[in-house]
Amino acid sequence: MAAELALQDMSLQFGGIKVLQEVSFTVEPGQIFGLVGPNGAGKTSLFNCISGHYRPTSGSVRIDGTQVQGARPATLARHGLARTFQHPALQLHETVLENVLLGAHSRLPGGPLEWSLRLPRTRRAEKELRAEALELLERNGLGWAAHLPADELSHGLHKGVELCRALLMKPELLLLDEPAAGLPHSEVEQLIATVRRLRADDGITVVVVEHHMGLIAALTDRVVVLDHGAKLMEGTAAEAQSDPRVIEAYIGKDAADDVA
Amino acid sequence: MASASAVQATPSPSAASPAPSFTERPWVRRAGALLLLVVLVVAPLVLPQFANETLARVGVFAVAVLGLNVVMGYTGQVSLGQIFFLGLGAYVTAYGVQHDWNVVVVFLLACVVPAVAGLVVALAAARLGGLAIAMVTIALPIVGVPLAKRLGDVTGGSQGISARMGGAPEGSGLYNDQWTLYVVLVIGGIVFLLTRSLVRGKFGRAFAIVKGNEHVASSMGISPYRYKVLAFTIASLIGGVSGFLYMYVIQYTSPETMSFGHSIQLLAAMVIGGAGSIVGSILGGAYYVLVPQLTNEIDASLTALLQGAILLAVLFVLPGGLASLLRAVTRGRRRSGAGNGAAAPSTTPPSTAGSAPAAGEPETERHGHA
Repeated sequence: MAAELALQDMSLQFGGIKVLQEVSFTVEPGQIFGLVGPNGAGKTSLFNCISGHYRPTSGSVRIDGTQVQGARPATLARHGLARTFQHPALQLHETVLENVLLGAHSRLPGGPLEWSLRLPRTRRAEKELRAEALELLERNGLGWAAHLPADELSHGLHKGVELCRALLMKPELLLLDEPAAGLPHSEVEQLIATVRRLRADDGITVVVVEHHMGLIAALTDRVVVLDHGAKLMEGTAAEAQSDPRVIEAYIGKDAADDVA
Repeated sequence: MASASAVQATPSPSAASPAPSFTERPWVRRAGALLLLVVLVVAPLVLPQFANETLARVGVFAVAVLGLNVVMGYTGQVSLGQIFFLGLGAYVTAYGVQHDWNVVVVFLLACVVPAVAGLVVALAAARLGGLAIAMVTIALPIVGVPLAKRLGDVTGGSQGISARMGGAPEGSGLYNDQWTLYVVLVIGGIVFLLTRSLVRGKFGRAFAIVKGNEHVASSMGISPYRYKVLAFTIASLIGGVSGFLYMYVIQYTSPETMSFGHSIQLLAAMVIGGAGSIVGSILGGAYYVLVPQLTNEIDASLTALLQGAILLAVLFVLPGGLASLLRAVTRGRRRSGAGNGAAAPSTTPPSTAGSAPAAGEPETERHGHA
């Protein structure tokens, strides 16, 4: 299942600072959509507005036509939205498997009393999702690490674990916040393959914030370029890379003139 | 102990290897649990009266520390008011017993009344977050003590209230102290088993991530607010159970029971036993009861000083509490590859520790139907 994401005139203000100004775009179901722009353009703030961690000052966010702006993140998560963070936040002393299993939370049935009594229903569900989590780790090349404490893994692998955790939620819309940041080149290639396979296998919609232009060009169907909180242009990654406005935003007006 | 299936096995580095280590094999765990059960059944019969009474008190406070662990050790919310729920449970029990209510009804009320009180407090306090929760929970014992003094008709005022219950039933062939310890072991054991299951699996992971990172928690569909309220309510309920057991064992309570100082001692006991640890809760209960006994024996005028010294010493050597010592020992043994050490059930220490101060106590007449 894939969800459609539509933003209409969304603005975000912190006091007098305008972080986002009337940003509108639509992500079609099953698309891989890029969100690019120089540092401080408001990409992560936009993400936080979609995932409910910030409340937009005005405008609307719709997932599959349902207005969701202002909804709490926990509510949105139960409606099929999953996200990763710029800096992976794992429970470092827990095993990789336990970390991934956290993603299964909303899929596990039963309340505190049932789990205290270890009713068959809860034990069966836990067993099934444990198997599913192991398979997910296996498929993403992390099966060997399943029973290691998370703090024994590298930063790059943490990103993989975090992705598996998000995927175990069975999301319809996945937000990836700088998935390639700090990854060596070989792992970026692997990441591209993983996200492509996600779309092919599960058909989920993916929105990705990224500085790594290579990844954006290789992965996305469409991109929106943000600058100073406003939408600069929308099109394919190739169009964005050759757009003089985008070049100017990234390297400054004088330098852009030199390039031209 | 619940025969921990492989699914619930504690995570360990060696779990990645195909062959589980000796202590992780299901039959070893089952045998260990059985051995523990036998020890718990036999111990009250062979121990002297004073040891039984001490162990019963350890059980009472182990349950109280367990409740504190749910909200603070596992969920990371500072609660300075746990003793209030013990006191509330004790007063409810005393009131019920004085009015000759059925003991099952009294027990249920001793669970429900503190749980509801905890829920109401948590609904307000969990909104505040951080240190504000600590501040609100400080208010509980501070308000509780004068309140108990004022409501003299119900609580007996400053004199307190006593209620006799639970002598060994006729024909049981048990002394009172043995019977009381069995009751504490059964009720406390059930509470420990249920809590142990709860803090693993779905709810354990949710509590841990609320403690670790609320942003991640909410992205996983876990509302930090709701889970803080849940943890606080469960802690209050468990506090109520410990209050019931307190009344069963000590048969007397006064406003002093829920004083702020006792709440802080309970917190120190949790930290010393090991925050976020089931075994640590038992060790915490043992600390709470045994250390004042021990320091009193050495020099009654130095009790507070000695307790402070012990607290500092433990925290310097073992920041993770006494439970981390057990963990380090088992891990060290695993690392060294010598997996032949028996599955020493780590929950036994109170029984051995409890018998130590028994010697040299004046014998009192032992009551019961033996």
